[in-house]
Amino acid sequence: MSGENIREMRRLKMTTQLLAIIRYELLWNVRKKKLLGAIAAAFIITTLTLALPVIFGSVYNRPIKSDPNYVISNSGSGSLILFLFALVTTMNSISGEFESGTIIPLLAKPISRTLILTGKIIAAIFTVLAAYSLLYAYLVIGGIILYGPQDNLNLIPLCMLGDMLSTTVWMSIILATGALSKNTTLTTVIGVITFLAANIGTSIISFFTEGAWILHYFPGNGATGYIKTLGIIRSLNLSTGTDNIAKIIIQYMLNPSAYVTYVKIEMGGTQVSPPIFRELYSEPLSLVLFRALVVAATYITALLLLAWYAFKKTQVLE
Amino acid sequence: MSLAIETIDLTKRYGNIVAVNKLNIRVKSGTIHGFLGPNGAGKTTTIKILVGLLRPDGGRVIVLGEEIRESGPKVQSRIGYMPELPRFPKHLKGWELLDIYGQMYCIPSQERKSRIRRLLEIVGLKGRENDFIGEYSKGMQQRLGIAQALLSEPDLVILDEPSIGLDPVGMVDVREIIKDIARKGVTVFISSHLLSEVEQTCTHVSIINRGVCLAEGPLGDIIGKIAGSSVLEIEVAEGLDKIINIVRDLPFVSAVQVEGSRLIIESHVREDIRPKISRAITEAGGTIIYMNMRMKRLEEAFIRLIRGEDR
Repeated sequence: MSGENIREMRRLKMTTQLLAIIRYELLWNVRKKKLLGAIAAAFIITTLTLALPVIFGSVYNRPIKSDPNYVISNSGSGSLILFLFALVTTMNSISGEFESGTIIPLLAKPISRTLILTGKIIAAIFTVLAAYSLLYAYLVIGGIILYGPQDNLNLIPLCMLGDMLSTTVWMSIILATGALSKNTTLTTVIGVITFLAANIGTSIISFFTEGAWILHYFPGNGATGYIKTLGIIRSLNLSTGTDNIAKIIIQYMLNPSAYVTYVKIEMGGTQVSPPIFRELYSEPLSLVLFRALVVAATYITALLLLAWYAFKKTQVLE
Repeated sequence: MSLAIETIDLTKRYGNIVAVNKLNIRVKSGTIHGFLGPNGAGKTTTIKILVGLLRPDGGRVIVLGEEIRESGPKVQSRIGYMPELPRFPKHLKGWELLDIYGQMYCIPSQERKSRIRRLLEIVGLKGRENDFIGEYSKGMQQRLGIAQALLSEPDLVILDEPSIGLDPVGMVDVREIIKDIARKGVTVFISSHLLSEVEQTCTHVSIINRGVCLAEGPLGDIIGKIAGSSVLEIEVAEGLDKIINIVRDLPFVSAVQVEGSRLIIESHVREDIRPKISRAITEAGGTIIYMNMRMKRLEEAFIRLIRGEDR
């Protein structure tokens, strides 16, 4: 058999094995009650996003006007949805196998650990992409029904990819923790603490210190600034972290020459004097997008490499 | 005869504890080889090294002619392994699990289906293949464990405590399955502490304690060497003193004890010694009025060996 044939056969074998592990993991993911719970939560949040203006409009007797940008301006999932999807698909995909002992027959099969981990990651990404597809379809249909024909719907696939990238950052954090600890409870606790720190903590730091630039390099919300077009600050604020890639992509596609201006809130000396917004610096939106993509890619690569190394070197003691 | 498994000075430590201590075992191809030892002797650790779940700290491991250095999938495709008390993903159905595992062995789809159908019948899970594994009893999971170990039609089957959790009928079924696999020329390596099961199934055994191999070889030889092969109890009518000396001098007799008018004769050969003893006593002028023979059991050899080692 020639060298090429051997390589072809090896490729075919690897593909078959990869498909097997993806199937193994997908069947697990779709049968998880936690995933159904997360999807239900995401649908409730999306329903509120769609319905609240209608409800308030009817309460205050102000009928809603048609808004062709409603869907696109509400696209980009919130941090909680991103984190929940990442958590339910990956929290026990490594640690759970070790805890239940199902890893033993799996690792005794003629399939490399690298392929097992790759299959698990791909299955998690497929699962989350499917969930986002349902969510965005719901948002678009709901938006058209409630707010009339919508513009810029061609940006929705990009938006989904952005959300997927943001979710993958959280998945990488959780997978690496799971591979190192082999303990689902510990993985979940560390994941939740990191999420809270990266979202609540950063929002406070971002507004009240001048050192908020460092938050551009943390996962989560990052620093918060305001979109500035032709020298005018628009009321729209924008977070620069890895959780907001979809929103940054949309803003960049709609206003490629826009700038993001960062401010510091200085409280007034007395109770009556209002807080002062002091401008710190501005930077092009293109740079914000580029940096968010690079930071996300760096986290994903580094954490998945860490997960791979820990998984590859692990011995099955129990 | 070639070797299916060979370990040379195999060593594994967990911190300060030496679980496997320069272990040397040799498993001949085509045999049913029992791997015996008390709890904590190092059986499961050795097996996990053989299948690539653990890395040894020292020594060499050769499985089916290939040296295992790092856990890798190359030789694993020729090994079928059932862990002790196997656990499988509860969210999968029995059929799905076997089908996915078969896909990992790259068995073509049609072939996979027919093998799974056959195996489910052999292990007695036919009709339950579409149930979730979470609904299976321990015994059913054990049977599924055997099915997945045989799925790739391996050259070497390693079973870690295959009879744990099985009812008596299940134990007989497993025994028959193992014998059936071996008839096809497959090497079966069984770790067990159910000595009667091993005795009824295995052709060869290795006995280990504290990570060291104490005895190894064909089952009959091991029993004969350590415990003596058989015990013959005889009652004679008269001339006991003279008969004792004649019996003691027979080449196959290893020990003679006197209990009243009875002689307890131990032999180290596995053949039936009754005709030879009977002839010798009659020629010496004695009359046998009672004779009872029982073969020595693996259990006696095992206990003698382990207790001797522990002292």
